[in-house]
Amino acid sequence: MSSATSRTSTLGVAPPPRPTLSFDHLGCVIAIIIGIALFAAPFATYRATRIASGEARFLIEALPIAMGTVIVVVSLGVAVVAVLVRDPFGRLGSAVIGLAVLLPALGLSAGFLTPADNTFARVSPSLGFWLLTLSFSLLAIDALARLRLGPYGRLVALAVGVSALALLLFSGIWDSLSILKEYHTRADTFWREARQHLLLAFGSMAAACIIGIPLGIAAYRLKTLRTALLQGLGIVQTIPSIALFGLLMAPLGAIAASVPLAAALGIKGIGAAPAFIALFLYALFPIVANTIAGLSQVPAAAVDAARGMGMSARQQLVEIEMPLAFPVILAGIRIVLVQNLGLATVAALIGGGGFGTFVFQGIGQTAIDLVLLGAIPTVALSFASSIFLDALVDLAKGAHA
Amino acid sequence: MIEIEHLTKRYGTTTVVDDVSFEVDEGSLTVVVGTSGAGKSTLLRMINRLVEPSAGRVLIDGEDTRTIPEEELRHRIGYVIQGYGLFPHRNVAANIATVPRLLGWDRKKIAQRVDELLDLFQLDPAEFAQKFPHELSGGQQQRVGVARALAARPSLLLMDEPFGALDAVIRAKAQDDLLAIQRRLGTTIVLVTHDMNEAFHLGDHIAVMDQARLLQHATPAELLMHPADDFVERLVGTAERPFRLISLATVQDALEAGEAAGEPVAASDNLHDALARLIWTGREALPVADAKGAIVGRISVGGILQHGRPHP
Repeated sequence: MSSATSRTSTLGVAPPPRPTLSFDHLGCVIAIIIGIALFAAPFATYRATRIASGEARFLIEALPIAMGTVIVVVSLGVAVVAVLVRDPFGRLGSAVIGLAVLLPALGLSAGFLTPADNTFARVSPSLGFWLLTLSFSLLAIDALARLRLGPYGRLVALAVGVSALALLLFSGIWDSLSILKEYHTRADTFWREARQHLLLAFGSMAAACIIGIPLGIAAYRLKTLRTALLQGLGIVQTIPSIALFGLLMAPLGAIAASVPLAAALGIKGIGAAPAFIALFLYALFPIVANTIAGLSQVPAAAVDAARGMGMSARQQLVEIEMPLAFPVILAGIRIVLVQNLGLATVAALIGGGGFGTFVFQGIGQTAIDLVLLGAIPTVALSFASSIFLDALVDLAKGAHA
Repeated sequence: MIEIEHLTKRYGTTTVVDDVSFEVDEGSLTVVVGTSGAGKSTLLRMINRLVEPSAGRVLIDGEDTRTIPEEELRHRIGYVIQGYGLFPHRNVAANIATVPRLLGWDRKKIAQRVDELLDLFQLDPAEFAQKFPHELSGGQQQRVGVARALAARPSLLLMDEPFGALDAVIRAKAQDDLLAIQRRLGTTIVLVTHDMNEAFHLGDHIAVMDQARLLQHATPAELLMHPADDFVERLVGTAERPFRLISLATVQDALEAGEAAGEPVAASDNLHDALARLIWTGREALPVADAKGAIVGRISVGGILQHGRPHP
């Protein structure tokens, strides 16, 4: 919003005189969402069994009356702050208070709605809860953006967020929620698939770095290789993931059939091997392209000076070019990691495991909670690693601004 | 001594440096001057073999540079380029320490050398050693660039437009500092520029290049009085010639016996500055004082003007 204002003024159009009582534009949107969430959308969904169709429960029905009132009052308070308060600390504080009341209240609601001793009934968050979470989070993120936190500040904010979430999960306050019920009935599988998911995403990223960075360096030096390589990898990027799995199935199956060692190593037409290879191929393009881009933006004078002072080609690369290209390469790694964490979900389709297993099982059983059990950790992981690596990129740049 | 013998560089059918030969005396400063694209930078880069000559050779103290491994040769030759090429991810101390570190000096010796050079270039080590290049002004960056090139005490320093990125006031100061440091260290310098004023201000010898060829290699005075051809004559500037000439001579050279009224000028001043004083004070003559302040004679407008024309 501030960028829009400054753009207008750089175009030479005088900004309109600011009224004494001004409304925050984003705040107005947030307030409207809060209004809808409180009064026009159900807070939770009640189902008699995990695959039965849901019944909506509005805020007044979903919680003991005192707690419901607290939520309404706090949410309206947040709406007022969002519209009228400009101080980012005030906005952040109100958003945090909102989330601190809302998130535990969901667990309370689940306990309140589930009849005693009924293990079949399921309570899950509904539109109203999601909208409130969205609006509070939006306000918090906007406030954090306005605070212009440095990389360390963002890492601290991330750590606080992760700790708060861990507290909610391990305190047992959410245990009556449908998703956690799904989790508790398959805790072992969950952690196994989590490991598999991380192995696929991080393993293929590491492989792509090990292969892609030297490839990028070679392509930077040899113009002919550069064009061919970037075009080839660009084509891989355009193949949809499921199609790529299909393309890999036949050759890998043939290898497994003809090379006994490959089969013994677990290389098959289906399973983790094609998934790993596909993720690796997708990851190569950003790594190679960013390595080339990073090396290209190294000041030519610095390299000339390095050479003129008698650095060998290897010393120039290790001491000058790579350190200066590093922030850009790290930005490529960030892209790859976020992309891989999401794409690894699809690996489950060909028996590769990972969080996708729950998503596709859930779709098969029309059990939406199971779908969420796979989807929410995936999104959370992508989001967290994105913030984490963004901060690292800034830190790497910060060394020489 | 540097002997440049028949140096030639061809790229395909284009010749960028064509059969250039001249010598650079130990401890002297030679300026290579010419229009852009004349081949000056390529000539310079052939001395430390950043560019391999197509023909000809360079001898340093009688040693053919082709017999010395490239990197070892460059460790022995200081190199300063336009824009300085400071390493943006390394602080000032680490930048200056580059060549000593490549040569494997021990830490203590490197730290001492860095402090010594920062002092020499009037940069307080306590304030500047830990700064990064982007935190420095243009003039400070330039000084760090030269300090870095001098770190391993090279006997030869190559400079490619080292003042090109500075504004006029800072440039004049940087040029004077370079001259002072060169006199103190006795370093042999080959400097490339397109700026004729810079060439006359700095050079013991000036090599004029045009279209890949060396047109004339001479002292500044010779260049003014006996230009090799029309191009050199145009380049040194016919209108500027007398003023450049009197800039090259000192008051001592035009000293006359006798007395004059007014504030004395120093015998070591150049005639250009002395003439300026005469014009400004409206006098025909001024007394001249030696380094101790004793009056040793006088200087007159007529005497100065004689130095502004070629004597046969």
